[in-house]
Parts: sequence; structure tokens; C-alpha cells
Amino acid sequence: MRRSLPLAAVALLAALPWLLARHQLSILTELLVFGIFAMSLDLLMGYTGMVSFGHAAYFGLGAYGSALCLIQWAPPLPLALAAGALLAAAVAAPVGYLCTRSSGIYFGMLTLAFAQLLYTVAFKWRDVTGGSDGLTGVPKTAFWPGGPSTAGPYAYYFLVLVVFAAAFAACRGLVGSPFGRALQAIRENERKFATLGQDPRRLKVIVFAVAAFVAGLAGALSAPFRGFASPELMFWVLSGQALMMVIIGGLGTLVGPVLGAAIFLLLQEVVSSYTEHWMLLNGAIFVVMVIFFPGGLVGTLRRWSAR
Amino acid sequence: MRLTRRDFTKAALVGGAGLSLGFPAFLRRAAAADPIRIGVPTVLSGGNAQYGLQAKRACELFAKDIKAKGGILGRPVEFIFEDTASDPATAVRKAQKLVEKDGVKFLTGIVLSSEALAVSAKCPEWKVLFMSSFTGVGALTAAKFNRYSFRPNTSGPMGARTVSLYLGESPMKRVYGLGSDYAWGRDSVGSFGRQMTAAKKEMVGQDFPPVGTKDFASYIAKVKQSKAEGCFLVLVGQDASIFFKQAAQFGLNREVKLVTEILELENLKAAGDVMTGVTGGSRYPFTLDTPKNRDWVKRFFEMHNVWPDMFDGETYQACEWLTQAIAAAGADDVEKVIAALEDSTYEGPEGKRTMRKCDHQAVKAGWVVEAVKDPKYPHLVPKILATYPGERVTPKCLTEEFA
Amino acid sequence: MSPAIVVEQLLNAVALSALLFLVSVGLSLVFGILRVVNFAHGMFYMLGAYFGFTLAARSGSFWLALVLAPPLVGLVGAALESSTLRFIYDRPPIYQVLLTFGLSLMLEECVRIGWGATALSVDAPAWLRGSVALGGTVFPAYRLFLIAVGGLVGAGLWLFLKTTRAGLVIRAVAQNAEMADCLGTDVRRVRTAVFGLACALAGLGGVVAAPMLSAYLGMGISVIVDAFVVVVIGGLGSIGGSMVGSLIVGAAQTWGGFFFSEVAMAIMYAVMAAILVFRPWGLFGEEE
Repeated sequence: MRRSLPLAAVALLAALPWLLARHQLSILTELLVFGIFAMSLDLLMGYTGMVSFGHAAYFGLGAYGSALCLIQWAPPLPLALAAGALLAAAVAAPVGYLCTRSSGIYFGMLTLAFAQLLYTVAFKWRDVTGGSDGLTGVPKTAFWPGGPSTAGPYAYYFLVLVVFAAAFAACRGLVGSPFGRALQAIRENERKFATLGQDPRRLKVIVFAVAAFVAGLAGALSAPFRGFASPELMFWVLSGQALMMVIIGGLGTLVGPVLGAAIFLLLQEVVSSYTEHWMLLNGAIFVVMVIFFPGGLVGTLRRWSAR
Repeated sequence: MRLTRRDFTKAALVGGAGLSLGFPAFLRRAAAADPIRIGVPTVLSGGNAQYGLQAKRACELFAKDIKAKGGILGRPVEFIFEDTASDPATAVRKAQKLVEKDGVKFLTGIVLSSEALAVSAKCPEWKVLFMSSFTGVGALTAAKFNRYSFRPNTSGPMGARTVSLYLGESPMKRVYGLGSDYAWGRDSVGSFGRQMTAAKKEMVGQDFPPVGTKDFASYIAKVKQSKAEGCFLVLVGQDASIFFKQAAQFGLNREVKLVTEILELENLKAAGDVMTGVTGGSRYPFTLDTPKNRDWVKRFFEMHNVWPDMFDGETYQACEWLTQAIAAAGADDVEKVIAALEDSTYEGPEGKRTMRKCDHQAVKAGWVVEAVKDPKYPHLVPKILATYPGERVTPKCLTEEFA
Repeated sequence: MSPAIVVEQLLNAVALSALLFLVSVGLSLVFGILRVVNFAHGMFYMLGAYFGFTLAARSGSFWLALVLAPPLVGLVGAALESSTLRFIYDRPPIYQVLLTFGLSLMLEECVRIGWGATALSVDAPAWLRGSVALGGTVFPAYRLFLIAVGGLVGAGLWLFLKTTRAGLVIRAVAQNAEMADCLGTDVRRVRTAVFGLACALAGLGGVVAAPMLSAYLGMGISVIVDAFVVVVIGGLGSIGGSMVGSLIVGAAQTWGGFFFSEVAMAIMYAVMAAILVFRPWGLFGEEE
């Protein structure tokens, strides 16, 4: 019973394309991509207690990684995805090492500083990143060498769905493992954890890089989807939006941030067709959540169902 | 137990939202697709909003004119506006929405060159025609050319060329280049630099302030420092207006001759009298003294109560040329319209243009203007100093280089 | 490099620093006394500019706007603090940061609803619109005014905190809120007052910035990151630190823009990161 429900959800998602118009399918695809992104932030925030204000930088790095790869060599898409995710993780490792020297709010500010630094590099290094114009014409290539193309909207959606399911399963596995439990122990009380003999900092750096990898994966998926990568993908405004998705959905639940991403994007889509001031509603929901429902949507539902 | 609710919530939310969004789509498909829809993903907010406003004004006047003529092929023309907020990623998203949700087959009125490049790159995939009216970056009809994009307006290299020809005839030897740090600014300053060097003049420096720069103090100091005689400006929207104001405050306009690639009415209105004597190129000077133009300007003023700026003119003429091609094609079929546009000739308020088949760049004249006071108008206006024929100012096919 | 240019650039740097100081000193105070990193701080700066625009447009007087706008912004800030932030002081600090972030989104949208999306220009008073001949060059009078305002506010604030009774109470709460509470201080009221003061200072920054930069929607977002850099460099909670930090960042942006315009921004963030790594409490902050 427990195993089959996530599968049922995936099956439903797989069936949706036939019920949706092309435009809605695009939204759903974007929703899954941001779901992966929000999930990656939850690994940091919800499970390890590390609040990053610069997480979008790794999403952006993933986008640039896959975009550059696809523009230059046009390899099968999964290779480009790996390239983007690895680039994000490779940059995140040293950054994480430096950032974890501090904790709490100073850690947050450091992640912001590094993200802005990366943003500025992307903005100014025109020869590689296309500067403020970004990289255009990112192609959608084949699923595997000599295989079918991912270019159609259905094909690309399925690629995203597969990656989403895999990322979700992997994150689930990670937080349930001994490593995951150690992270949660660090979140609860870092000092106590240190007295048990392990080095919390090492684990924090690892999870920082892993979270960056997953965020990079999401970014790598977004570049061919939009055909485009730009420095705005690294800007702290996107980091802030990711924070919102995690909080609205529910910190430390993995599925919460996915729902948070869905709510955020759907609100944007639906409300913006009536008024351009949808951000007011989003902001208000966020503020209400922070004050009254810090557990987010899923956290609150869980508490009610536990009663 | 918990797993049940959580996953159910997740699936239900996603599925429910998807279905709820799906319903309007079914209904929409049932309605008649009668009007010819033109999508306008333009800038309606932020520092460049004045451009979106021009696109809107031009489209509104055109919609009124075409309605009076009974539409195109007996069908009304409908413009759908979206705000891209000067962000290329948003421009792609809005254009995608216009194509997928609203079913447009034609796009126009894209403001920033970076936005235009990003959207143009997707047009072959969407099978949608992009008729530029603002886009300056040379690459649109050169390195990044695709057959779904057309440029009826003056490009950046063409503007730089016009100004270079004019400055080439002057005794000025040392020039500085200041361009907004994105596709158009970089491309135009680069083109200008190459042409200045070819004319045996010296580019003593160049700078690229980011779009949205509000304080040009350091840049102004650098220009003064360089002892340049002239400064070529390729600044977008409000940045240009602010620059002119601050240049006057720092006395730069007295030390250096300021020459801009596009001398806009918006700058003249915002910066005011300090701009007297500033020269520059113009893509469409409303003071052009031909009967057809005077008539069009009068009608524009009657509808909008302001005198038309450069892009009011360019966008209106882009719409007119596009619909002329749709009529010639006999249907709003994109492939047929592309064929009808290529090698076509169009005569608008500003004069005659031809659309080259090889790179979809229109061959049109270039003007150099000077900002002067004229008692007939409440602000400074562009006085035409020189006119260069299209053949001299349009680059060689698919390139940004000139013969 | 001619002396005229040097003088011009020095003054540019100090003018920029004055503006940065007005914004970051409030941010620093709020952290020092409330232990909250106020992400919405840039929005109060923006509110000041917009309030200033409306007041100046309605009354025809810039001075009226200068005097009325900051207290109005301060009131808005105090109202927001007492209705939202107050309830979550006992939670982990991240929630307060997130709350201010959410408030910043709402504030920006409110400004968009109230004033529209295009930038609004504000005219400086007539006698400040011109330029002054200085050391062989011409310098805008308004920027000199900016320097004067920054200096006056800095001095005034320092005097206020060091010599007045209210300043003493504020410093006591900063050092040990619980003890101050035991001694009879209404800590809640002090917190609201300080938040309001900080917002008013940011609003003042906005009003004086408006004639130079115009009132525009991206103002809040672009100034907050600069303010963070200043406060990180100078130290959270220190007024002197904010002044030094502003001077450093103002100089870096002005001279960096002059010599290394391509990488100037990157250098600033790198410096910010370096300071956070090795001295996270900034140059003048207190080690925690």
C-alpha cells in the first residue's frame, strides 16, 4: 500500500499530458523542474537546518552547463544534464567548504555573497556565457545516442518526469539513510552531534554539494526546455522564490517543497491572467504561512492527521 | 497513514489544477478562430516601459486604421499584449504563452535585442513569424539569422554606419564609445569602432554600463579623462535620459560632442533643454517633411495627443508591412507570408523600403538629426541634418560589414 | 590623471557613500537591537522615494517631502513590525528573515499598485539643480547636498545614541534585552521604535536619492544587496562600522568603476565573502 501510492502519483502525472492542452503541459513541465529545485533546497534547509540565500546559483550553473554542452557538442540530453549537475556540484564543493566555516545567519549571507559573485561572473563573462543576453538556441537532443529526439512537448515532459521521479526517489533514500539521519541530528543540535565524534562540517559540505547537484539537475533541465540560459537564473530573487516554495509547501518533507513549487507557479499562472499583481497574493500567503503555519502545507496537514 | 494523505494531496493538487486549467482550453478551441492575431510581448514595466508604450500606441492606431479598411482578407486584426519586463527569459515565456495559448502566428513589438534574439531562436520551433520593430542587434540578420524572423527597421550597425558617415565628414579625430551592456549596446559600439578605424579616426575608449544604471558619474569622469572630442552613445531607454541629465550636471556636454545612435523624443522630453545641440541617428524622425508623413503624424497626434517617437513610427510601419504581406499571401499561413514578405517593397509614412530575401533585412534610408528648439512644439525636436540612401547604410547580406 | 578628475571622483565616492550610509545604518541598527536581518529594508528606501515623489508633486516643495516622508515611512515600518514581526521573535532567526522577505515582496507590489510601473522623476529644489565649479571641474550641487545630509544624519544618530536617555535605553536593550526588561524597560516598544527609526532612515535615503536616481521599482532590490555588503564589511550593529563600510563600498564602486569597470562588482562580492569567512562579524561588529 505504502509503496504503490507514490507510484500511483507518478502514473497520474504520466497520464496527464493526454488531458492537457499544449500550454498547460508546458506549465506542468516547468512545475516539475522547479519541484526538483525546491526539493534540493529542502535537503539543505529542512533536513540539515542550513538556510541558503544563494541556492539559485546552482540552478543557474546547471542551466549554463547543459546549455554550453548542448550548443557546442549536441550530445544526447542525459549527458548534458549530467554535465550541468556536475558543474553545479563542482562549484558548490569549494563554496560550501568556505561557507560552512560560519553558521546561522552568517552562513546565509555568505551563500548570498557567493551567489552574487557567480551572478556577476555570468553577467560579465560575455565570451562564455553570452553576458546579460544569455545563451540562446539551446537544442533538445536525443534521449540516448541514436535514439528518439526529446524535441516534442510530450517527449520532453516524459524526460522531465523520469528525472523528477528518480531525483525524488534518490532524495527519499538519502534522508532515510544513516547519512540522512546524521543530517537531521546536526539540525537538531550541532554541538551535541560534534561531541559524538563525527565532524559535522564534513557532512554539511557533502550535503551542500549534493543539494547543488540536484539543483543543477533542475537547471540543466530548464535550459533546453526554454532554449535559453541567462544570468537571471542565478539572481538572489530566484533563491528567494525557492525559499518561498519550501516554506509554503513544508520544510523537511521533500514532497512539501514540490507542492510549494506547484502552488507558487500555479498561483503565478492563474492569478496573473486576472491581475498583474499576483505577487501580492503570493507574498501574503507566504507571510501568513511563516507566522501561523511554519510547517507549511504538508507539515500542517501532517500535524492534523496525527491528532 | 501519513504517506497516504501526503501523496494523495500531491496527486490531487497536481491533477486537479491541471484539469481546472484544461477546461478553458477546450472551450477556447470550440470558439471561432476568426481574427488574425498578432502577439506583442513587449516591455510594459520598468525603465524601458516607454518603449512598450510606443508599441502599444502604434498598434492601437494601426488597429483603428485597419478596422476602417475592413480588416485583412475580410478578417479583423487583433493585438494581444504581454509584459516581458525587459527580461529575455520572461519574453520567451510570454511569447510561448501567446503562441500556445492564444494561438498567435505573428509576433512583433519586442523591445530589447536580447529578448528578440531569445524569442527569434524559438520561432522555427513554434513556426511563428517575428516582425521586428525595435531590434537593433546585427546578429538577428547575420549570425543568428533564421527565416522566420524579419527586420523591417533600422539595425544597430546601420545606425552606427549612418553616424560614422556623418562624423567621417567632420574634423573630429578622437571618439569614445558608451553602450548599454547587452546585445544592442555591445554590437553597435563595436560596429561604430570598426567604422571609425576604417575612417582613420581613433576610438580612445569604450564602456558598457549595465542596463538600468542610474548613476553615470564614473563613466562621465572616464570620458572626460580620455580627452575625447566626441562620444558615441548607445544607451537604452531611461538610461539615456538619465545620462544626458547627468552629463549636463557634470559639464560633459560642454567639453565633448555627444552623438547618440538613436535620438529619441523620450530623451528630449525627459532631459529637456540641456539636450539642445545633441546630434544622433534617427530610425524615424517625425519631422520628415513629406505629405504622407505629415498626414500620418497628424492622425497619430489626434489619437494620442503626443508627437510620434521613433518606435511609434517603426512599429506602425512594421504592422502595415506585415499585414500587406498577409493580404498578398491570401491567407495567414506563415510559410506563404514569409514568401510574400521576401523581396517585397513597402511604402510607409517615412518612404520606400525593400525587404531583402537573403537576410530579411530591409534596405532603408538613414537620417542624422540634431535636437533643436521649435516654438511649434512643447519640447525639443529632431531636425534632419543629413539623409543617407539605403544602399549606403545597409550592410552586406548576412553580415554586419559594409562595402 | 588630472587633479580635476581626482577631485570629481573623490566627491562622487563620498556622495555614493552618503546614500549607502543612510540605507545601511538602519539595517545595521535593526540587527544590533532586534537581531533581525531585515530583507525588506530596501523597500522602505523605495517607499521613501515614492512618498517623496507624491508629497513633492502635491505640495510643490521638495523640503516638505524631505521632512514628512521619512516619518511616514517610519510609521509604516513600525506598524508592520508590531503587527507581524513581533509575534515571532521567540522563533529561530530564520523565520524572521523569511518574514521580512515576504513583506518585501508585498511592499514592492503595493508600490507597483499605488504608483504604476514606470519610473517617476522628482525635481530637486531649484537652487540645488545646478552645478558648482570645483577644483577645475564642474560638480552637481545636489550630490554635495547628499554628502551633507549623510554627514549630519550620521553625527545626529551617534549623538542621539550616546547622549540621550532614549539612546541609553536602546543600547541597553541591544546589550541584554532580558535584563533591560527586568529593569522596567518596555522592550517591545523599544523594538518597534527602533524598527520604525531604521525604516525612517531608509526612507530619508529614498527621498534624497529620488532627485538623483528617480523613483523606480527596482530601487529596493538593487540597494539591499549593496546595503548587505556595507553592513557585512562594517559590522552588524555598529553605526561607525556602517559609516566605514559605506565609505569603502562607495569608493570601491566609484574607483572600481573607473579603473576596472568590467570586474568592479565581482571584486566587491569577493571582498564581502572574504570578510564573512574570516571575520563574519565585520570590521567593527561584536564577536558572537
